[in-house]
Amino acid sequence: MAEKQSVEDQIKNQMVDTPVPEDQSGVLCTAEADEYFMGIKGELNQIDRLVSDAVNNLVINFRYISRLTKSHHDMVLAIEKMAAPEGSKPILELLDKQMDIAGKIEQELEMAITSLQFGDLVTQLLAHTTHQVEILKIELQRIDRQGNWKKKVGEESLHTIHEGISKAVDVAKNKNKRKPVVQQGMQMGDIELF
Amino acid sequence: MAKTILAVDDSASIRQMVAFTLKGAGYEVIEAVDGQDALDKANIHKVNLVLTDINMPRMDGLKLLELLRKLAHYKTVPILMLTTESGDEIKAKGRAAGATGWLVKPFDPKRLLEVIGKVIG
Repeated sequence: MAEKQSVEDQIKNQMVDTPVPEDQSGVLCTAEADEYFMGIKGELNQIDRLVSDAVNNLVINFRYISRLTKSHHDMVLAIEKMAAPEGSKPILELLDKQMDIAGKIEQELEMAITSLQFGDLVTQLLAHTTHQVEILKIELQRIDRQGNWKKKVGEESLHTIHEGISKAVDVAKNKNKRKPVVQQGMQMGDIELF
Repeated sequence: MAKTILAVDDSASIRQMVAFTLKGAGYEVIEAVDGQDALDKANIHKVNLVLTDINMPRMDGLKLLELLRKLAHYKTVPILMLTTESGDEIKAKGRAAGATGWLVKPFDPKRLLEVIGKVIG
């Protein structure tokens, strides 16, 4: 079964139908530039792994705290029942305070559910950004192959390189998929029933 | 008898948060990691509601929606989309394919339960 794919895997899948030129060394996309692009992708992948790891740990903590809170709540209720016949006012007051605290912890945990969804949003954005980097690299390589740069010299060459970069950026923009996440914060999203 | 909800998301943390919220409210939850997994499970278990993400590997949520609506049992079962996507165009696609509603992530547990309560009573 397919679990959440790493950013790298998602990009590999997206790129599967895009032909990659054999000769990766060129004027626009030099070996150094290629290495630089690889570095960016590696770092985006590292961010994804760190965020996923942190989210997994937070979810484990969340579930544990929530179980503890529930058992604390039940315990206070049980003590309250036992103390009630005696009618000890200070004990009952303390237990009421305990119930208030348990209720507030539960409310906070509910709010944490919304925030804990950040990992999913971040992973999708990282995959989108990695995809953009990959597309730009491929377009630079493609234009390199079509450029016939060796025949051009001096200013003509410089002008053509600028043109090549602009063309690569334009094509990359057009090939770009729609951004999957537009949220700017972790506020609850809209709901619409059809 | 508790109603059963099929929760579909490739993000383990989202699945856990959804399951935590729904189980806490007394629903039974079946989890699926993508559209294909959900389709397989929907064929085995006749669930009362499907809550699905859109962007997933193997089969996305819109394709799942389209295929589920072709199955006799799922012609009328509510199918809610729970996604980061909020564009009008994709929402219209979901609506045309038979989605019951559209919830944009992140979800708030109380509001999620209200909506589910509204559509499955």
